[in-house]
Amino acid sequence: MDWLDSVLDKAYAAFIAENRWQLYVKGFGITMEVAVFAALIGIVLGTIVAFMKLSTKRNGKPTIFAHIANIYIDIIRGTPSVLQLLIMWFIVLQNCKNGVLVACITFGINSGAYVSEIMRAGILAVDKGQMEAGRSLGLSHFQTMRYVVIPQAFKNALPPLGNEFIVLIKETAIVGYVGLSDLTRVANQMTSKLYEAFMPLIGSAVVYFTVIKILTVLLAKLERRLRKSDNR
Amino acid sequence: MIIVKELHKKFEGNHVLRGVDYHIHQGEKIVVVGPSGSGKSTFLRCLNLLEVPTSGEIWFDGQLITNPKIDINKVRQHMGMVFQHFNLFNNLTIMDNITLAPIKLKLMSEEEAKENALKLLNRVGLAEKADAYPGSLSGGQKQRIAIVRSLAMSPKVMLFDEPTSALDPEMVGEVLEVMKELADSGMTMVVVTHEMGFAREVGTKVLFMDGGNIIEENTPQEFFGNPKSPRLQEFLSKVL
Repeated sequence: MDWLDSVLDKAYAAFIAENRWQLYVKGFGITMEVAVFAALIGIVLGTIVAFMKLSTKRNGKPTIFAHIANIYIDIIRGTPSVLQLLIMWFIVLQNCKNGVLVACITFGINSGAYVSEIMRAGILAVDKGQMEAGRSLGLSHFQTMRYVVIPQAFKNALPPLGNEFIVLIKETAIVGYVGLSDLTRVANQMTSKLYEAFMPLIGSAVVYFTVIKILTVLLAKLERRLRKSDNR
Repeated sequence: MIIVKELHKKFEGNHVLRGVDYHIHQGEKIVVVGPSGSGKSTFLRCLNLLEVPTSGEIWFDGQLITNPKIDINKVRQHMGMVFQHFNLFNNLTIMDNITLAPIKLKLMSEEEAKENALKLLNRVGLAEKADAYPGSLSGGQKQRIAIVRSLAMSPKVMLFDEPTSALDPEMVGEVLEVMKELADSGMTMVVVTHEMGFAREVGTKVLFMDGGNIIEENTPQEFFGNPKSPRLQEFLSKVL
């Protein structure tokens, strides 16, 4: 039973000794804090940008807002998020000493680009007859959007939105670059400290996995609920 | 009631309507027939400005509705439209489909709108579907609901864009039945359709469109019994 003893020893050293589990919990807190606030910023920003990108002039040509939206999406999608984070930390927001805030803003802006495309696809997937029917009854474009198109678009967008949130949680693992001690960085530091990689790394991987598994189940439930009107 | 003058519509180089002139009077049932691509659906969709005409004038109840300054949403409240693919709001129950516009446009209170909707649903025999979602209905039922949804706004004129073309054959009858009843009640109707029987039976005037223009216009008896233009004769020989 030597190997079991050694495993238990390693686990003890990695998680229990000197209350080290608290570091993981704190790290996990930062991971979730950044992910949740970034997701909120991303959804608001993404929805606005989606409508900007869909806006047309009377002659059907895209507006100036649509061009701005395109440039924004191109830049965000065309550069690595690590670089975006470093640029925000060392250049754009160099006077802001609050790393968590900078991370939330950076990931929010980053996620907004992807969310906007998800939202746009969701809106475009709603049959255009829905808008025509609303308008033919005398409802305005805005009213038809609000009561008919957007509820259906949101339902279309929910699976990829859930996916985007999951990606976001994992993507925050790079905030160590600007000195934040998130779950991944805590595991990494522990590895160097204890000269032992297995327990810290696998342990934190299990935490990520568990959270995301729970999220997946909740999202599937919500999706089923929203699909109620499709029952035949 | 509706006056159309020199109506042109172009889609990116495709000249679909080429100077249509027509005058629809109160209480008339105008049936528009013609081959596909003749512009008949576009003509109908121009009447409530779902398609914005390239040039020309449309007057409705003495109002020039092609004037961009006009509040088109107000005008559309008085023009019902029924679509080929029903276009019921998929996220709403049948009851909400019918009451959405009257309530949100503040024409009725919620109770009034519901009461009115139930009355109309009874008229088409679908009151028990009030709480169902469109997905659970047959095509014929959906189209009858779509008609009811338009009627809930008490329109002055009803536009039908091939209302039976997307239906299984055995469901065409139930929809035409509702439309006939509506016609008998005195509603002004403009119907684009391939149902020649309906045109003959219900129409007060039948129009033949081809190449973006009205080629022939007559009473159903004359239209079917004594077609004048060779193009219409050829068309009728194919469809009858």
